[in-house]
Amino acid sequence: MYNLLRQGQRLGCWMPAAQQMHTTAVQRTFWEREKKSGYKTKLPEPSKKQLIMDGLRDLKEEIKLWRKEVTEHLESDPILVFRPGETDVVFDFKAPDVLDKWTVTTDADHGEGKSTAALELSAAGAGLFHGEVNSNHTKDGIIKRTGYANIRTKRVRKSFKRESTYDWTQYNMLIMKVRGDGRSYLINLHTEGYFDLMWNDIYHYVLYTRGGPHWQIAKIPFSKFFLSSKGRVQDRQGAIPLNRVTHFGFSVAAKKGMDGPFGLEIDYVGLEYDPSHREEFAYEMYQTPKYIVAT
Amino acid sequence: MLRRAQCLLRMHSSTGRQSLCAAQHVPAALHRHYSADEANRDEKQNPNAKRAGTGGSKSLPAVRNVFATAQDKTKDTYLTMVEIFGERDVHRRNHVEFIYAALKHMPDFGVENDLEVYKALINVMPKGKFIPTNLFQAEFMHYPKQQQCIIDLLEQMEDFGVMPDYEMEAMLLNVFGNKGHPLRKYWRMMYWMPKFKNLSPWPLPNPVPDDTLEIAKLAVERMCTVDLRSKINVFETKELKDAVDETWIVSGMSPEQSKLLREHSRQKALYIEGPFHIWIRNRRINYFTLRADADAEFLAQLDERQLDEDDVSNIEVPFFGRPPPRRHNQLGKLRSVHQQDDGTIFAICATGTSTKDSLLSWIRLLEANGNPSIGEVPVLFRFTSTVPAKSEEIEGPTSVPATSSDSPSRSRKEDEPSVS
Repeated sequence: MYNLLRQGQRLGCWMPAAQQMHTTAVQRTFWEREKKSGYKTKLPEPSKKQLIMDGLRDLKEEIKLWRKEVTEHLESDPILVFRPGETDVVFDFKAPDVLDKWTVTTDADHGEGKSTAALELSAAGAGLFHGEVNSNHTKDGIIKRTGYANIRTKRVRKSFKRESTYDWTQYNMLIMKVRGDGRSYLINLHTEGYFDLMWNDIYHYVLYTRGGPHWQIAKIPFSKFFLSSKGRVQDRQGAIPLNRVTHFGFSVAAKKGMDGPFGLEIDYVGLEYDPSHREEFAYEMYQTPKYIVAT
Repeated sequence: MLRRAQCLLRMHSSTGRQSLCAAQHVPAALHRHYSADEANRDEKQNPNAKRAGTGGSKSLPAVRNVFATAQDKTKDTYLTMVEIFGERDVHRRNHVEFIYAALKHMPDFGVENDLEVYKALINVMPKGKFIPTNLFQAEFMHYPKQQQCIIDLLEQMEDFGVMPDYEMEAMLLNVFGNKGHPLRKYWRMMYWMPKFKNLSPWPLPNPVPDDTLEIAKLAVERMCTVDLRSKINVFETKELKDAVDETWIVSGMSPEQSKLLREHSRQKALYIEGPFHIWIRNRRINYFTLRADADAEFLAQLDERQLDEDDVSNIEVPFFGRPPPRRHNQLGKLRSVHQQDDGTIFAICATGTSTKDSLLSWIRLLEANGNPSIGEVPVLFRFTSTVPAKSEEIEGPTSVPATSSDSPSRSRKEDEPSVS
């Protein structure tokens, strides 16, 4: 595929006019070179000496982490009881240096939009995701729609920077204590897979906020989450694999004229097991005709 | 037909400007591509409009975008232009470009939420011509430009939240057959859009009314859903004797909040805080709250009463001495929903002008309407705003203290007691 494209470009050298006439978008959908799909920010590489020094400094922490893992493994005392009605807090904004665990991104990061966002601690001691979303953008003829802001946790990992996943299979509810501004936010549960096709797997659901000065506790069953990839809802759906959750995040968009400031205060995000909720997947799974799905 | 005649007249009357128009856009017409950006807006047009400008430059087609030049931007004109295009000749050449141009100018005509208009645009496509007749055609996206055009149309519907209906399915089937890609898009839309359409627990009219008072009512009602006994009152400041601003105040308060206010210590100040904002669809409303600092004593007492049932280190045996206190037997106040960790909320309001005077009127109106205790408690104004200029504006020109510069996003100022 890539070779073909290169050939096409070479053809362009022979015939400059032909290149002018080439109007179809180049689609590199066959395979992905890296996880960011071309949006990787090229940061300057630190010097070798710096790398060694950083590595040695990190090593101390990593060994500590590793020792903890080993003791946990030897103790072998995992929580295996389903405790209905008890909320286990996963992301607590009252914890110290919690803001380091989150990444804030907007469309302005790659010069594609003008939204701004930040994650700070609010007066109430909770995390405040605020900023301004803006759907205006530089009209370069490629980008059609912009205006989003997003926060996401960093990849969950084990010691020595090995990637791991959350295991939430015991729970069936997502509990959040939030205070919003009447906007609806998107809850993203990333389940990044091994192959490039699964790098962008995200399960979504909507978080409607009431607005106003009162806190609100949102309780959302995991069965309601639906799969999408790169912003497109997928045809082949299925319940979220809760043992493979890699990131958690919120998004907000400036769609339908909702350009302007936003603010979502998050106290905590937790998990709960509700025995009365028996649903596995909320969406009916029709048998679709052949060669229609995912085309 | 009358509206059509009018439209035709209008189209012909503006031909005088064509030569000028053509001269301007000659460079743009040299390389022709159909991306949807602002720069070459006048390029994708109705080619069946009169061609002019052949005199000066080398016979370049100078065509006008009827949607950009239309004077009367209404739904009627829009539909008439689509109708004219359909009837102008048999071949309907460049209908893809026409549909793209039409899609782009929808918001100008205020028809972006109208299903009828989208159907009219699909109706421009010839029926039966694009249906694949063999397997290979079906597999390789027969007539890709046309299919992509209708996919883009459906995507625009999705963006504006317009749900298609079954007639649209029939139209698409007639144009592309049951293997068409627009059909697949349509089926996906019809699967997902009804699921999300009425999902919000706080349903709102679509579109929301234009009147600010109506939106303010919706906003305060929405915020008050936290307590079902809340009552929404719409006051007029005219009711008061010496109010400076003549405006409306939408105030939300529940009997429980009144009770909390009655029981509030006369020594502890109340704060009017704001403006905060709430979104009602795409409208933003500023609101203010009347609150006091959290009753720390009461909240701590609640914590004490919550016995840790998992703690087995100190089990009291009820056979000896006095029985251990049980929660159900204890008499005490229950925590109200308005007693939040970071403050007790007594009332919410939105005013027409969001000025300090209107808020003062609000407090006096609350006092007059069943909350006489406000008069005995000091009330402080505390204006916070993401825009410091806004809070200064509300505060009024008199004695504006400097905003704290270390936190520009949440500058906070306190004023002297205004009501005593």
